[in-house]
Amino acid sequence: MTNFKVFAVVIVTLGLYTWLANAIPQIESVVPEELSFSSDVTESELVAAGENLFRGGAACMTCHGLETRAPNLLSDFAGEGTIGQRCGTRVAGVDCKTYLLESLTDPTAYVLEGFDPMVFQARSFSSAQIWALVAFLQDQGGPVTVTGADIASAEEADASAPVAAGPVSASADPLEIMRANLCLGCHKLGDEGVEIGPPFDGMGSRIDGDRIRRSVLDPMAEAAEGFEHLLGAMPPNLADMLTARQLEIVVDFLSEQR
Amino acid sequence: MLRDGTRPPLRQVLLVGVLALLAVAAATEPAAAQYVAREYGDFPLIGSRQAIWIAAQLHLFFAAFVLGVPMFAVVAEAIGIFNGEERYDKLAKEFTRLLLVSYSATAIWGAMLVFGLVTLYPRLWGYLAEIFDVSMWIYVGIFFFESFTLYLYYYGWDRWKKGRAKWGHWGLGVLLNLFGTAVMFIANSWLTYMMSPPADVTPDTAPAMVQFWSAFANATWMPINVHRFIANIVFGGAIVGAYAAFRFLSAKTDEERAHYDWMGYIGNFVAIFALIILPFAGYYLGREIYEFNQQMGTTMMGGFMSWLWVVQAFLIGVLFLAGNYYLWVGMGRIPGAERFQKYTKYMLAVLVLGVIVWATPRNMIASREELTAMGGQFHPFLGVLGVMSAKNTAVNLMILATFLSFLLYRRANKRPVVGWASKGTAVQGSLFVISAMVVLFYGVYGYFVPAIVRIGFSVYQVLAVLATIGGVLAIDIAMMRGAKSHGEIRWGQMPDRSQYALFILAVTFTWLMGLMGFARSGIRQHWHIFEVMRDTTVDAATPALGYASVVISVCVLLFLGLVGIIFWIGGLAEQPVVSSVGSEPASGSGSPGPGGLPG
Repeated sequence: MTNFKVFAVVIVTLGLYTWLANAIPQIESVVPEELSFSSDVTESELVAAGENLFRGGAACMTCHGLETRAPNLLSDFAGEGTIGQRCGTRVAGVDCKTYLLESLTDPTAYVLEGFDPMVFQARSFSSAQIWALVAFLQDQGGPVTVTGADIASAEEADASAPVAAGPVSASADPLEIMRANLCLGCHKLGDEGVEIGPPFDGMGSRIDGDRIRRSVLDPMAEAAEGFEHLLGAMPPNLADMLTARQLEIVVDFLSEQR
Repeated sequence: MLRDGTRPPLRQVLLVGVLALLAVAAATEPAAAQYVAREYGDFPLIGSRQAIWIAAQLHLFFAAFVLGVPMFAVVAEAIGIFNGEERYDKLAKEFTRLLLVSYSATAIWGAMLVFGLVTLYPRLWGYLAEIFDVSMWIYVGIFFFESFTLYLYYYGWDRWKKGRAKWGHWGLGVLLNLFGTAVMFIANSWLTYMMSPPADVTPDTAPAMVQFWSAFANATWMPINVHRFIANIVFGGAIVGAYAAFRFLSAKTDEERAHYDWMGYIGNFVAIFALIILPFAGYYLGREIYEFNQQMGTTMMGGFMSWLWVVQAFLIGVLFLAGNYYLWVGMGRIPGAERFQKYTKYMLAVLVLGVIVWATPRNMIASREELTAMGGQFHPFLGVLGVMSAKNTAVNLMILATFLSFLLYRRANKRPVVGWASKGTAVQGSLFVISAMVVLFYGVYGYFVPAIVRIGFSVYQVLAVLATIGGVLAIDIAMMRGAKSHGEIRWGQMPDRSQYALFILAVTFTWLMGLMGFARSGIRQHWHIFEVMRDTTVDAATPALGYASVVISVCVLLFLGLVGIIFWIGGLAEQPVVSSVGSEPASGSGSPGPGGLPG
């Protein structure tokens, strides 16, 4: 009987907590939808995508659905109307689209008095997602001026931005580093490699460590004697593919090849 | 032209070009030509997320138990050494016996968790292993030593019982705790890295390029360490309390009942006392989460998890009420306690009002219909109670009320004989009143200052309460030296309903632990590693609380079922240690008071 009573207490307690957790409003954390628009994307497509993000994955309603943390963007605020109505007059000389875009990408750009800077982190969102949000906010009482061209140019700018390529290998072994970076595809070392560029064998007796380092960091600067015709053949991005430590390991290793 | 004046063969020039292109291509896509491990596995029937969730939760439940119990086993042993009372030593040994059989369960669930991660989330596991490999080896090494220290600690109990050998044995207990804490700290670094990786780590950062120490000692590592350290004590106490309650209810003799009544009291005392400190550790953790990433903090407190804190407030209310109820019922077996029973209703009122205030929501995500039903963004009257000023005030007053319960229980059968007893009691009362006034003053004042100032007020409230607890206790210990007794505590003469309160405490602590685990893990949302590695599975969205509550309840049921089986198996191997606590004098110099502290 004791066992049964104990079991009943456990079950009833668990049941109560489970019921309580199910009785309150059920809110799921939504994954922001990946967006991809063609250049002829329509206004309604942009607005619909923006609304999904605003109410879902971007979690904007967490703060902008209230009036204590942030201005409510979907209703009148301080007698200035909804965000689509007030965005163009908020800052002199800044049009609605620019105002909204900059507010999203730089939360400290235009902070309303009495509020803290927005906690939204634009780096977690793609250009298409940001522009869709701008379109949705414009649509709250104002004309939508976001176009497919805005998105295309933003994506083009993203694509042409320098990408910080990571190291190919994390190894601290000079041979491993050189193999991973395909150095031996052009340089011979002992039984390994191909003799196209200057051989690594005896390199330390031909040039010093500073020169080796320069050759890696800026292969276009000067060619090895006798290999001038190959100037430009060495990958120009090696500096991005090695850590500072790996570079020094390779330089030290090659300097010792006598 | 070559050095000898000849032109390089065309084939050689082309080869150079091709190799250069290959080099660039390989640098951009380093793993293209290599074996690429799968990102995710699939677990049948319940799916990968649920499988990992259950394995991790069960491992954490057992781990918390085997880390929490040694802490007060070693304290109980020390009290036994200092007071020369064997019952504390026997209690510590019985705790350790429970520990022994739980260790393998911890390891088994740990292995299930690791194998689950390796097979279901290989990319994530590979990434973490590349950063934390050395700490993983150290973890295993310490775990090995910890296990053998435990064996020595338990099996050497009767061999090293006297003199210096006893101190050596106690040293083993301390060592066991140090190993256990080190193991927990190491594992915490892995999970907190997933929550708060260093700012310079981006999705493009190769794991081998992540600085080990900045990953290990990340922003939420120490707050989690502190929070879990205290929570483990609470949890261990609650489970031991439930174990004692079960033994009490199924006891055949008065002696057994007396022993397990006393054991249950100690478990409850440890759990509630540590629980009092836990909210402060929670604030520290929450503040660090906000410092790390405001968006994460907002998601946690005001985003999709905002309703979770209402449920948490309800559970903590149950804990405070059940813990205090156990004490109030327990006063029925203490001669002289009648004179304090009139205060019970006031303490109950403070606790109930405190829970109501704490559970009042404010910044909730609400639909248009819900807002209309409520009459606006906030409830016209109750909305004012939902702000942090009111909540901090409520919880601090609840802590003061609970401490008062303990104090009254502790001195229930004692009559101080020191000349300054009335003045001492007056000072104690004044400390209670002053701290309550400080808490109330800053609670009200908080409504009239900006948020940034208001946050600082909680520190003054906490300090006032902690100072009162420390000051009142110090006075009480001094005042009760040589106190006369109204009569012995009648251990074992507890109504059965009090023991069910201990079960409710254990179930609630366990469920709350699961809930907080969901909160901690869920605020990463659709990231395995926050803003570094995305979760791209079909289960990337963090589920709503209702779904989570079902998984938590299943985990708690599994855990309690397994604990029951483990304790039953342990009981087969050895008869429980029973001491004649009923015959111990409850008064006199150096004897333990009902508060479980040296009198």
